[in-house]
Amino acid sequence: MDISSFLDGLSIAVQPINILWIILGGFLGTIVGMLPGLGPATAVAVLIPVTFGMNPVSAIILMAAIYYGAMYGGSRSSILLNTPGDGSAIAATFDGYPMAKKGQAGEALAISAVASFIGGLMAVVGFIFLAEPLANFALKFGPAEYFLLMLLTLSAIVALSIGRMIKGFLAMMVGLALSTVGIDTQTGVYRFTMGIPHLSEGIDFLIVIIGVYAIGEVLYNFLNIDKQKKEKKKVGKVWFSKEQWKRSKWPILRSGPLGFIIGVLPGAGGSIASMISYTSEKQISKRTEEFGEGAVEGLAAPESSNNAASVGAMIPLLTMGIPGSGTTAVMLGALIMLGLRPGPLLFEQQPETAWALINSMFIGNLALVIINIAMVGLLVKILDTPAKVLYPIIVLLAFIGTYTLSYSVIDFFLLLIFGLFGLMMKVMDIPIAPLVLALIVGTDMEQNFRMAVLSSNGSLGVFFSSGVSIGLVILTMLSLCYPLILKLAKRKKNMSEDEDQVYKSS
Amino acid sequence: MRKLAFVSLLILTFVIAGCSGNASGTQEYPKKNIEIVAPASPGGGWDLTARSLEKVLTDEKLVKENINVVNKPGGGGEVGWKYLKSKDAHTLAVNSSLVLTNNLLGQSELTYKQFTPIATLATEWQALAVPADSKYKSATEFMEAVKKDPSKVKIGVGPGLGNDDHLSIVQAASEYDINPSKLNFLVYQGGGDVVTALLGGHVDAVTTSLSEVKDQHLAGKLRILAVSSDKPVEGLEDVPTWKEEGIDLVFPHWRGIMGPPDMTEEEIAYWDKKLSKMVETEQWKKVLENNDWEGFYKNSEETKKFMKEQHDLYQRLVKESGLVK
Repeated sequence: MDISSFLDGLSIAVQPINILWIILGGFLGTIVGMLPGLGPATAVAVLIPVTFGMNPVSAIILMAAIYYGAMYGGSRSSILLNTPGDGSAIAATFDGYPMAKKGQAGEALAISAVASFIGGLMAVVGFIFLAEPLANFALKFGPAEYFLLMLLTLSAIVALSIGRMIKGFLAMMVGLALSTVGIDTQTGVYRFTMGIPHLSEGIDFLIVIIGVYAIGEVLYNFLNIDKQKKEKKKVGKVWFSKEQWKRSKWPILRSGPLGFIIGVLPGAGGSIASMISYTSEKQISKRTEEFGEGAVEGLAAPESSNNAASVGAMIPLLTMGIPGSGTTAVMLGALIMLGLRPGPLLFEQQPETAWALINSMFIGNLALVIINIAMVGLLVKILDTPAKVLYPIIVLLAFIGTYTLSYSVIDFFLLLIFGLFGLMMKVMDIPIAPLVLALIVGTDMEQNFRMAVLSSNGSLGVFFSSGVSIGLVILTMLSLCYPLILKLAKRKKNMSEDEDQVYKSS
Repeated sequence: MRKLAFVSLLILTFVIAGCSGNASGTQEYPKKNIEIVAPASPGGGWDLTARSLEKVLTDEKLVKENINVVNKPGGGGEVGWKYLKSKDAHTLAVNSSLVLTNNLLGQSELTYKQFTPIATLATEWQALAVPADSKYKSATEFMEAVKKDPSKVKIGVGPGLGNDDHLSIVQAASEYDINPSKLNFLVYQGGGDVVTALLGGHVDAVTTSLSEVKDQHLAGKLRILAVSSDKPVEGLEDVPTWKEEGIDLVFPHWRGIMGPPDMTEEEIAYWDKKLSKMVETEQWKKVLENNDWEGFYKNSEETKKFMKEQHDLYQRLVKESGLVK
């Protein structure tokens, strides 16, 4: 690290105009992150014409603020409405929504903002000291390693479906099947597009998320809208308790670095990061059975992780000029238009730009935690909104969000189909996350598997050929066998209790 | 409440956008606002081309009417171009070689002949790159190794076969008497992934746009063996062209603009006049420089001829590549 460039960057980042952009971008990001369907990629794209007139440094600061701002916002609707705003906010529904149902919405919103803040902060520090070695580490990830990483993510389904394993795997199979729709990149063959050109790029997982979660949730609530109790729901305090903090502290600190490293890998990103940290926390926790029922650490861990991942995704963008996610791809296009070319020469030729961005992320995370905690009191009021007002608004937002994805009405039909599908899954008690997760990683998993096998001329040994891949295989095995281990441990415990009883009674 | 305000603002925007489209009279073309279709999502290459056109034409006061950019992504341009086909002469669309290859690869019914060529605007060049420590020191060495055993040399390409990245190397192979259908391609999701794969040593070479690898080459992280331009590229004088390597190949990755079918002489002349002026402006030159594009202006008549040549070339390449039987 170069101290004088760091200070130069800091002095640019603290210019009042840039601080204004940071706050504006963070706020905008929080809002778009909250709304189902409108994500950071859309927000950045819509702002491109605005950035034309801007100084390139301010533009990159603004766009980055929108990106990590959306990570803060994404979990708001997960917690309050069981409707993730983006792929990376799915994990926040697992425990965030149950917490809100238990009357702890305020605590849930507060802890997730703080978790995001700490995760983001750790990632920025990591960025300063580890950008170069991590970028090189990311390069070690070939097709085989990516395939195994996706497999590890999918193995989370086991942990998510305990007690209803067959239903979980069924949902996963449907998700994987859906991911095969579209043009097959290795051969150029069209699969299951039914002659509709729109489907040649596959089914956007965001439409499925909005459909099964937002529309599905509205339909599900519609089934028993008359039965709903009229009493005011409890929203809890706007700050979390000492006990909750004690439980979340270590999960937050562990998930930050994990999410950061996964974020650095091009193509992995927040969805995978949050899912892996959720399942690993669930597996090592002493309170495993509370996960999914409103365990505070089950919300804090993925929140810390996805925000750290969004900072990590800046590393390949800045050091190699390679976008690691949909949003950074749009950012890259916009920056090139402005004559700023991220890449290996950026730190040499324009170090102050790179360091201004890094410093702005410090300020931005600080501003965002304040904004988000200040908004808790306001947001919990959503729970008081009568269903007949709230649900039409959600449906309207779902349609707007879907339209912005590709400006096509065909997506509306997909949205409705998946809405009905989501309702069906809820009624039949089939877990939804495995479906969405399989759809998110399915395409990449398949393509990487085929590339790996192609490059090794058909030998499967390529999946055990490097330290990284062997590590990933072991982690996947552990994750798969974990319910078995859990069962064994329980049986042992029961047995020893039985023995105790036998001993006592004798 | 906040959401309600947001939504009503959105509706208001739509209403205003809807109303501004009308204007009539008997004056000359253009009679109303101009629409430029970017057949892709915001942020991509086509979108940026469309937005640059909008900005330069407006800022330089070349076109008085409002210009709106509309995004119609899907099907590799198909959705946007179908839309263009249904509009009048006040709608134009950005294009590239996909307007030819979609049809040649059997993915689309649309052909380039169904549209009115307006102009070719800019081009990028294609590059063949290898890792910095690769044993291939020159393009001929590389081609020689491929000739010996095509299956041994893994070439990274993205995001799909049949694009310019792929076909440029198909043409090079064909010129070197290698059967292009035997080449061993690994197909990645996009240009960025291809470069990562090369830097990580997961492929032996990549074929991609020059801009994707230019900075990496300058930083010494990889080596460009050849570019597809007709003369050495500014700033990269140490990199030979394919021609200098003895392989007769100039391969532009061009971008242009076209109109709906049956535009009148008068309408075409209008754009010839405006666009020939636009490409001379400082602001357009800045756009080219920022994007690492090169000026490649051809007026409507020249573009028509160029498209025919390109169509015949692509037809041959697609066949040789083995993608179409």
